[in-house]
Amino acid sequence: MRLGRSRSGSSVPTNLVRSLFSSLPGPRTAIPSSSHRSASPVESSSTAGSSSSVPRILNPPFGSCRNLSHQKGTFSAPAYDIVKNIIRSSCSSSSSLVSRRRYFGGVRLLSNQAAVEASTSDGLTVEGILSSQWTILDESEGDWKSHAAAIAQSIHLIKKRLQWKKLLVRFQVLSAQLEKPDIWNDPAHAGRLSREQGSLLSRMKEVVEFERELLENIDMIKLAREENDSELELESLNALVRMRRISKEKELEALLAGEQDPCSCYIEVQAGAGGTESMDWAAMVMQMYKLWAQRRGYGVTVVDEMSGDIAGIKRATIKVDGEYAFGYAKSEVGVHRLVRISPFDSNKRRHTSFAAVAVIPIQGDGSTRVQINESDLRIDRFRSGGAGGQSVNKTESAIRIVHIPTGITVTCQNERSQHMNKASAMAVLQSRLDQLERARQAQMNAEHTQSLTDISWGNQIRTYVMHPYRMVKDLRTNFEVSDPDSVLDGDIDGFILSYLSASLDKDEDDRLYWEGG
Amino acid sequence: MKLKAVRFVGSVGGLSSSSSSFLRLPPRFFLFPHQRPRSISSSAALSSVPRLRLSSSSTTWPPTSHSHSHSHSLLPQLPLFLRPPKYAASLSDLQIWHDWAKSLAASVGSTFLDSDNGPHSSLLCRELGWLLEDALPEGTDPSSLLSQMRLGAPTDRVKLKVGIRDLYSLWRRRIEERRPFQYIVGCEHWRDLVLSVQEGVLIPRPETEILVDLVADAVVSKVNARLNDRVWADLGTGSGAIAIGIARALGSGGCRKVIATDLSSVAAQVASFNVQRYGLQDIIEVREGSWFEPLKEFQGKLTGLVSNPPYIPSMNIPGLQAEVGKHEPRLALDGGADGLDDLLHLCHGAASMLRPGGYFAFETNGERQCKFLVDYMENELKGSFLDIQVVSDFAGFQRFVTGFRQ
Repeated sequence: MRLGRSRSGSSVPTNLVRSLFSSLPGPRTAIPSSSHRSASPVESSSTAGSSSSVPRILNPPFGSCRNLSHQKGTFSAPAYDIVKNIIRSSCSSSSSLVSRRRYFGGVRLLSNQAAVEASTSDGLTVEGILSSQWTILDESEGDWKSHAAAIAQSIHLIKKRLQWKKLLVRFQVLSAQLEKPDIWNDPAHAGRLSREQGSLLSRMKEVVEFERELLENIDMIKLAREENDSELELESLNALVRMRRISKEKELEALLAGEQDPCSCYIEVQAGAGGTESMDWAAMVMQMYKLWAQRRGYGVTVVDEMSGDIAGIKRATIKVDGEYAFGYAKSEVGVHRLVRISPFDSNKRRHTSFAAVAVIPIQGDGSTRVQINESDLRIDRFRSGGAGGQSVNKTESAIRIVHIPTGITVTCQNERSQHMNKASAMAVLQSRLDQLERARQAQMNAEHTQSLTDISWGNQIRTYVMHPYRMVKDLRTNFEVSDPDSVLDGDIDGFILSYLSASLDKDEDDRLYWEGG
Repeated sequence: MKLKAVRFVGSVGGLSSSSSSFLRLPPRFFLFPHQRPRSISSSAALSSVPRLRLSSSSTTWPPTSHSHSHSHSLLPQLPLFLRPPKYAASLSDLQIWHDWAKSLAASVGSTFLDSDNGPHSSLLCRELGWLLEDALPEGTDPSSLLSQMRLGAPTDRVKLKVGIRDLYSLWRRRIEERRPFQYIVGCEHWRDLVLSVQEGVLIPRPETEILVDLVADAVVSKVNARLNDRVWADLGTGSGAIAIGIARALGSGGCRKVIATDLSSVAAQVASFNVQRYGLQDIIEVREGSWFEPLKEFQGKLTGLVSNPPYIPSMNIPGLQAEVGKHEPRLALDGGADGLDDLLHLCHGAASMLRPGGYFAFETNGERQCKFLVDYMENELKGSFLDIQVVSDFAGFQRFVTGFRQ
């Protein structure tokens, strides 16, 4: 299915989804209305002060049938049916559908062409606020237009970051698939789709409700002015200020909207060619991540560490535990380059060394994991010499696991028992196989070709120069810092955030046609 | 069964009690109820039990001696990590100790490795990290503390489970006397367990972890044989590792029991302590005595039998890695002239003690002993066993012999 580029065309699905939301239960800021009030007396009494005048801001609800048929004309029939079916299935009867739409969704469903966008009673939409380019003043200035413009800008950015249009299309594709009668023949697959659909839905719902809250508050302010109700005006103005603050957080959250982003992760660092100097560099990079993770309050455990002969590490794996660890750390994947006068070179020459970084998400229990076949594994222990058993007492109990079909090799030596080393190595193997499987699936769906390059090791992403000048520069974003020491002490959030926003804030139109027809 | 109070020695294993920093534990640590078999008074059992051992070196066996005159050394000691953090040191003092300990470890290089296949300095450095981990209160991360050492105020105090002066002497003994690291910290991480160990008790080895997996696999694969009910035995239990491992692997439910025996009184007490720590006192019964002696009532009734008996040939004992040869109990290592004395005794015992269909798994010194035992059971004990197998450890050594009673 292909969406048109035109504003009216692309806004249709937005509205479809919105009308879907309006039929779903969920937290909402109440627009008091007569029947709403009767449905929920507690709520209405709490807003009693303003309720008498509020219903007037509600435009006559547009007939749902007519509205839907209008959409049917501009939107492909199957997708329309899906959304309609979901709406139908989530309501007990068609009459309840109508009533819910009228009182929860009515504000948005106006009779003119602009009706497909959420809007205020006088037809102001979020897009409209953006295009009217109201001056954005400091937060302390009590100008509602300024607040509204700031919030609208945030919403625009959030939608961009969430790849809003792509999200809608993906949602429809998922819904279509889940509607197939035989989908549950493969419960694992169906479960995955259904979870993805659920997570998309909750993400979209949040934005739509934020949008609606903005418009409702504007309505309130206009109304309060008409009625000379200064108390209500102040209340609504304060609500806008609150929203303005929250919107900044939401912008940040939207950077981490990927399915794997909330996961904990492993970070692996491997020294490039170049002997002790590059092993020392690898150790510095690993230390940078340990310090970064500690700053963020994540738990850090060393899973595996292979020391260099003189200094540094040949490679190491740490586990970073905490919310969104993967979402942030994934920006670090790639090759990191160091230029300095090597302390290991007696001639004090300038050296360039490389360290490769890989980041592997650790999937939660709910997600499907690759089934590991015991017989596909070769598990061995580094021989510690001699006859082993009772003759040897070494606290070393490193384990190496080779997954024969893929050739993936995992070692773990940092736990204090062989059993725990094995368990820890198995966990790393599991995550690597999961990642491999995701990459394989992503390759099949053209949509994710982007993420394939994200996990390949070949690309140099950042240069750390100590000599002749001092600078750390990200080659992807051109973000740079002139104090390498602070960066190596773990202050890398600037790089991470600039990368995340740069990679997401590209014009999303570029990505709209991923489905290819 | 009566409960017997066991007193814990508060000193770090083996430290002189006259040391100024002698560790005294709060009163609640002094009384610890232990299940001990009523039937056996340890002195009587020890004097009356002949041990099947052909080695002539018995007279030289070191401090695992069963004599009550050494009663002090027989008392279980609390592992370092279980002690309360009632000491403190300044960050800078701890840093000085750490730097000293690290350079001492580094000075070893590969000399231990070259002389008797002992630990390399890199391994000693890792042990140093674990010592710090055990000495710090729970939840204190040694690595972040170490980075804090460089950044923080040197006068900051750090809580410790052992005095700083004892940290010096502990590490000195690790390096200079080659005292096993596990005796230094009083514990060994084995499977997912942390077991108390001390002088006189064999430190469980990583290889032996697989023995528990073998039992678990046998129980799963022979569901019809009902291997998970009735009585299992772990002979020569030492720290109780295998008994605890299989008690947990056999799963709950059913009327099962694991009897762990050991000739050594100190081993029996340490095993009891570990059993209690994992709350398995209702399942595992520790009995003091030689091999099958304490199990007479189970003749022909045992469901399973596991053991990691002494299997090192006597002539190999003097050449052992110092940590093993100089510090671990010879009683638990020396298997007689060809190392097979106790294994052969176990084979005969398995034939008479196991019920039909019962399972056994023994650890051995390697390929030669495995081959010999398989051959012996198939020929000398013909008709006694079924499905005899040799299983390798993760290093690729043939390590275990397993099978079923016919």
